[in-house]
Amino acid sequence: MAANPEAVRPERSAADERYVFIDDVTKEFDGFVAVDDVSLSIRKGEIFALLGGSGCGKSTLLRCLAGFEKPTTGRILLDGQPMNDLPPYERPINMMFQSYALFPHMTVEQNVAFGLKQDGMPKPDIKRRVEEMLNLVQMVKFAGRKPHQLSGGQQQRVALARSLAKSPKLLLLDEPMGALDKKLRSQMQLELVNIVEKLGVTCVMVTHDQEEAMTMATRIALMDSGRIRQVGTPDEIYEQPTSRFAAEFIGSVNIIEGVIKDDEKDFVTIQSAALAHLIHIGHGISGFEGQRVNFALRPEKITVTKDEPADAHNKAQGVIEDIAYFGSHSVFHVRLPSGTRLMAHFANRKRWASENFTWTDKVWLSWGDNAGVVLPA
Amino acid sequence: MNTLKRWLNTAKSHSRWAVISVPYLWMLLFFAVPFLIVLKISFAYQVVAIPPYTGLLELADQSVLMKLNLTNYLQLMVEDKYIDAYLNSIQIAGISTLLCLLIGYPMAYTIARLPPTSRNIALMLVILPSWISFLIRIYAWMGILQTNGLLNKLLLGIGIIDTPLRIMNTPLAAYIGIVYAYLPFMILPLYANLVKLDLRLLEAAYDLGARPWKAFLTITLPLSRRGIVAGCMLVMIPAVGEYVIPELLGGPSTRMIGRQLANEFFVAGNWPMASAVAIVMLLLLMVPILIFNHIQGKEMEGRLT
Repeated sequence: MAANPEAVRPERSAADERYVFIDDVTKEFDGFVAVDDVSLSIRKGEIFALLGGSGCGKSTLLRCLAGFEKPTTGRILLDGQPMNDLPPYERPINMMFQSYALFPHMTVEQNVAFGLKQDGMPKPDIKRRVEEMLNLVQMVKFAGRKPHQLSGGQQQRVALARSLAKSPKLLLLDEPMGALDKKLRSQMQLELVNIVEKLGVTCVMVTHDQEEAMTMATRIALMDSGRIRQVGTPDEIYEQPTSRFAAEFIGSVNIIEGVIKDDEKDFVTIQSAALAHLIHIGHGISGFEGQRVNFALRPEKITVTKDEPADAHNKAQGVIEDIAYFGSHSVFHVRLPSGTRLMAHFANRKRWASENFTWTDKVWLSWGDNAGVVLPA
Repeated sequence: MNTLKRWLNTAKSHSRWAVISVPYLWMLLFFAVPFLIVLKISFAYQVVAIPPYTGLLELADQSVLMKLNLTNYLQLMVEDKYIDAYLNSIQIAGISTLLCLLIGYPMAYTIARLPPTSRNIALMLVILPSWISFLIRIYAWMGILQTNGLLNKLLLGIGIIDTPLRIMNTPLAAYIGIVYAYLPFMILPLYANLVKLDLRLLEAAYDLGARPWKAFLTITLPLSRRGIVAGCMLVMIPAVGEYVIPELLGGPSTRMIGRQLANEFFVAGNWPMASAVAIVMLLLLMVPILIFNHIQGKEMEGRLT
């Protein structure tokens, strides 16, 4: 569902690789460092998400791009052009604001036309462009309405049309789905991605919702206390987190603390107080024997069985303490003899499949040699 | 249980009535009744008696006759001194309102943009002068504006002027007094409106290419229309009937309807005429109020559909 990377990928020039270039940007407010020495290259045509909790600096960075904040140090370039000294009204950048900031005293049509009017576009051209935009977001019928007469989803469409009307070189989305209810959200996520891709506009979005970032973005930058923690495609960030923070921020994960016991070329073992057996990793890692590490294991990588699996290196027996039933799958919280609790997904592939397990059942957990990721402690 | 509920409900509606009836009773007693008395007097004849006007009803030949004297109103419509006074009042009040708006809007705007702590101090400074009696402040202005007053002394001292300026007892003095006295009534509603303005709307306007001045004209100004209308009404309506300021500062050359009314009442002793003047003034002031209510009602309708 994420923006199709193939649509973006074919032969990019170096300039397109650095279409938006954020170069060592730091933003301080009265001694508080909101954005701390961030460097990012954003490709032409991609949907790039800044993901992080509140206060991580993602919004400040977005406001630096829009021109509402000036970086304390560092440069921002768009298509090779320095942006730092341009006020927001001179940047070829438009933003879809959180909860939209539609002008309440203007009709839908006037809202969309506002930016075009500022450019002094001739009236017939404005009319044509507004119609084109309203068509794109399927809001032609509502052209004469005022924002307060629209539903949340409709307001969002108008906001999108308004921010796209001037064909910006860069579109900024500030928590685009923040004001929508859950059902509408997943529908609009898809629709927004489709529209943005159709126009081929480069897009930077800010969100605190990891699911939204994964769904919509081609790449994600994970931010924490003003710094970028990891940049990658959604699957890279999910399957190959480079830190415990990244692993825990996105999706759910079991973190098992341990020490590297054997560090061989083609396999590694980790000893952990949590498990009776050594954790067996099926490939070499850049570590050393005796190093303290965190072993990150996603719940869906764990297989739950009644009987002891014969051929698995990695297994542990425990007691089911809690069951959370989600319909498509169940999450078992399994308590190991060491007291550690592990989460394991159980796909309900057959109807009533999870009925075979119940509280206080003894079960076996097992996982493959390459199921988890070894992270520095 | 149900009885208790019903009893509580009736008690509730009774207490609701009690709460609103107090101010309504007050209005009835001290506004509606005096107004009707004034209306009645305006149709009477002036006589030398106590009270100095005739009654409207007469008993003669076993019938009750009602005699309405319309000459007062006819006089108001034809005699220059009244027409002038009305036009002057409206002009002075109108220009004063405009001046208050021009001075008050930037002030209200600036205060609304201050950080919250200094905002309250700035608002206090606007309200603070009204803690001193209105009359004392107008007398203070007399001291400032007089020919040998503070302002002239200052200007002469610096050497900007050679002969003292004649401001006291001119319409200019009345303008100064009215603008000074009514400025807070312009600033407060404007401030209350502007402080609520969603600043992200301005950011959105900048983002879409509007320069700050253009964003002000297309976003801030139209969105503060209610504040502007409220402020203008609060200044304009009392200013039209203003008596003290033109009397004390404006001198005889400032002919406003309030002074005309006082003249009729205290000097000519013509109560019916004074009453007619008051009634017509009230009718004149009703027009903008009704227009304002109409606009507001329409806007409310728009919000609901």
